[in-house]
Amino acid sequence: MVRTHHPDSLKEALSIRGMEKVTVLAGGTDLMVRNRSWSGTLPVFERDVLFIGHLEELKKIREKGEFIILGASCTLAQIMHDGRVPEYVKLPLAQMASSAIRNVATIGGNICNASPAGDTLPMLYALNASLQLNSEQGSRIVTIQDFITGPGGTGLQDDEILTEIHIPTACFSHQYYKKAGLRKANAISKVSFFAVANSNHNRIDEVRIALGAVAPTPVRSREGEALLAGLEIEALPERFYDVKACYEQLLSPIDDVRSTEKYRHKAALLILEDFLLNVLRSHA
Amino acid sequence: MKGLSEPIKRYDFDEKVEGRARYCSDVYLEGMLYARTLRSDRPRAKILEIAIPPLPDGYFIVDKDDIPGKNSVPIVYDDEPFLAREAVNYVGEPILLVVGPDKQTILDILAAIRVDYEDLEPVLTIEDALNCRENFIFQDRPHFVEYQYTKGDINGAIARASCWLEDVFRTGYQEHVALETQSVLAFLEEGRITVSGSMQCPYYLKDALVQALNWPEDRVRVVQLPTGGGFGSKEDYPSIVGVHAALAAVKSGRPVQLVLERGEDIRCTTKRHPSHVHIKSYLDHENNIRARDVEVLIDAGAYAGLSSVVLQRLIFSVCGVYRVENLRVHGRAMATNNVVCGAFRGFGGPQAFFAIEMHMENIAQKLGVDSLELKKDYFLRRGDTSSTGGLFQFEIVLPQIIEQIEEISGYSQKRKELSGGLGWRGIGCSVFFHGCGFTGKGEKDILKTRVRLVKRSASEIEIRVANTEIGQGAATTLCKIVARALEIPVEHVAYIYPDTDLCPDSGPTIASRTIMIIGKLLYDCALEMKEKWREESLEVARGYTYPANLSWDNARFIGNAYAEYSWGANVVEVEVDPLTLEINVLGVWAVYDIGTPIDERIVKGQIDGGLVQGLGYAGMELLQARQGRLQQENLANYIIPTFLDFPPIVSRLVENPYENGPFGARGLGEITLVGAAPALALAVQNAVGKPIRQLPVSPEYLMELMCDE
Amino acid sequence: MNRVQFVLNGSEVNLPVHPLKRLIDVLRDDLHITGAKEGCGEGECGACAVLVDGRLVNACLVPVGSICGYNVVTIEGFRQSSRFEILKDSFEQAGSVQCGFCTPAMILAAEALLSRNSHPSEEQIRQAMAGNLCRCTGYTMIVEAVQLASRKGAGLW
Repeated sequence: MVRTHHPDSLKEALSIRGMEKVTVLAGGTDLMVRNRSWSGTLPVFERDVLFIGHLEELKKIREKGEFIILGASCTLAQIMHDGRVPEYVKLPLAQMASSAIRNVATIGGNICNASPAGDTLPMLYALNASLQLNSEQGSRIVTIQDFITGPGGTGLQDDEILTEIHIPTACFSHQYYKKAGLRKANAISKVSFFAVANSNHNRIDEVRIALGAVAPTPVRSREGEALLAGLEIEALPERFYDVKACYEQLLSPIDDVRSTEKYRHKAALLILEDFLLNVLRSHA
Repeated sequence: MKGLSEPIKRYDFDEKVEGRARYCSDVYLEGMLYARTLRSDRPRAKILEIAIPPLPDGYFIVDKDDIPGKNSVPIVYDDEPFLAREAVNYVGEPILLVVGPDKQTILDILAAIRVDYEDLEPVLTIEDALNCRENFIFQDRPHFVEYQYTKGDINGAIARASCWLEDVFRTGYQEHVALETQSVLAFLEEGRITVSGSMQCPYYLKDALVQALNWPEDRVRVVQLPTGGGFGSKEDYPSIVGVHAALAAVKSGRPVQLVLERGEDIRCTTKRHPSHVHIKSYLDHENNIRARDVEVLIDAGAYAGLSSVVLQRLIFSVCGVYRVENLRVHGRAMATNNVVCGAFRGFGGPQAFFAIEMHMENIAQKLGVDSLELKKDYFLRRGDTSSTGGLFQFEIVLPQIIEQIEEISGYSQKRKELSGGLGWRGIGCSVFFHGCGFTGKGEKDILKTRVRLVKRSASEIEIRVANTEIGQGAATTLCKIVARALEIPVEHVAYIYPDTDLCPDSGPTIASRTIMIIGKLLYDCALEMKEKWREESLEVARGYTYPANLSWDNARFIGNAYAEYSWGANVVEVEVDPLTLEINVLGVWAVYDIGTPIDERIVKGQIDGGLVQGLGYAGMELLQARQGRLQQENLANYIIPTFLDFPPIVSRLVENPYENGPFGARGLGEITLVGAAPALALAVQNAVGKPIRQLPVSPEYLMELMCDE
Repeated sequence: MNRVQFVLNGSEVNLPVHPLKRLIDVLRDDLHITGAKEGCGEGECGACAVLVDGRLVNACLVPVGSICGYNVVTIEGFRQSSRFEILKDSFEQAGSVQCGFCTPAMILAAEALLSRNSHPSEEQIRQAMAGNLCRCTGYTMIVEAVQLASRKGAGLW
């Protein structure tokens, strides 16, 4: 039978993490489903479990310079209800799961699951978020892109704990989120699309777009964004096909029990087109 | 005294809202054991050997050899074993149970059991079944049943026709998702077995126990517990799990609880039948519809179950609410190595009305006329005969239903505006019926319906029936009928959860029969009791008599397929997201003739719930079998509607009392689901301008349609 | 075996159970508190929802070790309150109960919402309760009950 650890501090948690291979459990809303067994029996964890959801150090939200910093054990509900967190960060959260799950599920858990359909990920990709990983040896900062390596795969080392999510804040003239889920609430994404942009005087300064559930990891195209930066709004339609091509080559969706490859592919490109040709132009 | 239809407090309200109602899994008996089922993971295979590890003390295996009686579920064809004999025919078929006190130990034993199979070529689709020439699943043929009926001079009408229009429609599975999974509890007491739990039909389970145990009836008792939803899922399946638990209790000598997990429940229990319906309508030179030729195929799964009866209702309904004098309808329930399909609210009706309503729309489109106007031209009227030639003896209020639904939905006006090319918005209207009660003479020939009403004192009247309260409000409604007939306060009437020791066999709680048939028998009992009211205590019983004004030839399918019908129309308005092709339902309107509503609040609850379940079927609830395995095996992937998916429903009733129903009531439970799918599909067709030919109308299906330029 | 301690319906509970045991199993199997129902075991149906420090959570997703020291309220505790009486009355008036399996959790979901927003809009009610599935009612009659409770329970929330 696996053991559990209930550290009193991050320091203690890191020390446990340094000594043995443990499964880190923050909210547990995903792990408890993945490892569930027959009702009335214990969920099946392969390794000892380290609880970190209660650690106050990991539940803080703070502003620091141009960043909003979210503790990894902040629940989705906590982030949604925090006045300091910019609205664009909250866009995907409001459409995630249900209130009962958002009360427990943590942002760190959603990141470390690294699901291709993970709903915070496109937002974090587009906002250039980076992650602080701590171990007894110290800490390091990695970008979200570098951290997520594939479905379920991350760069988290066995002795590390994701402690903070650093999101650079800025003013955007456009903030946009669209999710095609299995239904209107409490639904896993089939395709998701997050974008922020800045434009003024009919010129696009910057666009950042990330798509979820259309490839093993969220998709962001620097090449596509470069084609858009500095572009006159009026020139969008003629540039659109080049931009679309940049994204199209990054899409590699799958057929699964929730949707089809074709649907994910087409819907992703239709949303992209709508964002660039309608949303971006109409509110510029 | 309040008006009859005015709502009263639900009979079962307090215990449910306070969380005191004891559902099966809430009951713990001293010394109780748990059971878990080992199931086939092959769609079709011979079982060569089952290797079982040594069992710790107090643990048991229950398999086919523990069945002293007949190892087959008593239902229509008796072809399905309680526990697999030498072969398995679908993924999820029960093979054996492991029983014991500790769940983890049971899991460990299950993990150590090895089943050696010899895989056989499975029949996985309706097409596979049609091509099947040998190694049949059922007897010597690829189907369980094949039916055909004709009306009028079909061949002559076809020969005289100037043109025909045809459509093929397909529908998928639907899973009931009663919030409470299949749950039973069995225990021995003084040489008798009692099985209690979640169920719709206590006497089905009792029959199954008698057959499996080969015990005399007086040693078998079935008691219903509060039941967390049925919708058809707890019609016949409790016979299987109930016998499993009973066998385990007999073998172990201890109480045994068997509660299916959600994934297991989705994987193994019955589903709504997938269907293919091919309709051909023949028109004359004046574009009158003269004849219809319909071919129906359903995927029944691996065992016959209730498929024959579902197919009957489907083929009797598939010509819709329209008067077309020449008909030929042919149907087959195909045997496949998929999960067994069975009863589900509507029972063949949803597939039938989806097909006919879409087809009528397509005819109207082809003729360049408004589809509702076309439908009105063919509406059945009193004095017409049904598809099987049964006389409609009572008023059919379809014109009033349409008038009401126009008034609340503004359908025709909106339809005109939306056809003006606004794009991505649409509205659809379905018109439909549901035959109340058993098909044909089933009420008389199959059932031996008895109801009892007991007077203990002037203020203690007890209803004794086997009809179950499964959430639909039967307890409240039946009490209300009796109280009203006796002219006493409803608080003086008690309903008890059916117990076969106390309650006569009043038949199953299915087919929208509880109020119309059982309610009427209780009403008659109450009238008799009222006449003898001076007697301090008394008991009055009634049985069903087949009405003299009806007739049914079950060999040729001629006559009154149903004693009476409920009628309805639904309007659904949608917008379709041009990017994701998700359907946003903007409005739902519904009008029904269910006779007299016995309790308006309960009726509204049925209407809202049935419609939302039907809208889920129409647009959301995708359940696919691949290689005999259901793909969406949990509630994260098999999705049912939430609070956010559909708007409030606006509904009305056209009161058209039925003279043989209690206070004029007809059937209600099922018709609420039947019209939803065609209304939604018609609205989507109107919105996207492409013919919708399958259910569910998923965004993925629409993407295929929209990309097929 | 660790001991796990929390407050259940106002009383301290201290049990020798594994910290990974699901809260729903502790409630139902160890304590025979059965108001929270298991409908799916995956956090999808909400039938097991209870209040933990006033917030709605799915008891099937919570390892009991993660709620040490917290206040857990189930329908068995909540039904003692005057807020419950208002909700009960409203559920009756609006016809919100059919099979009843989702009902205890629905009541608690309504309480969790109203305690944060005493006058929610229809949309807010639907959003807040979307994690609680009901297969019987089609939901609108439950929405109406929450609206009714919000009106009748003025000052209570």
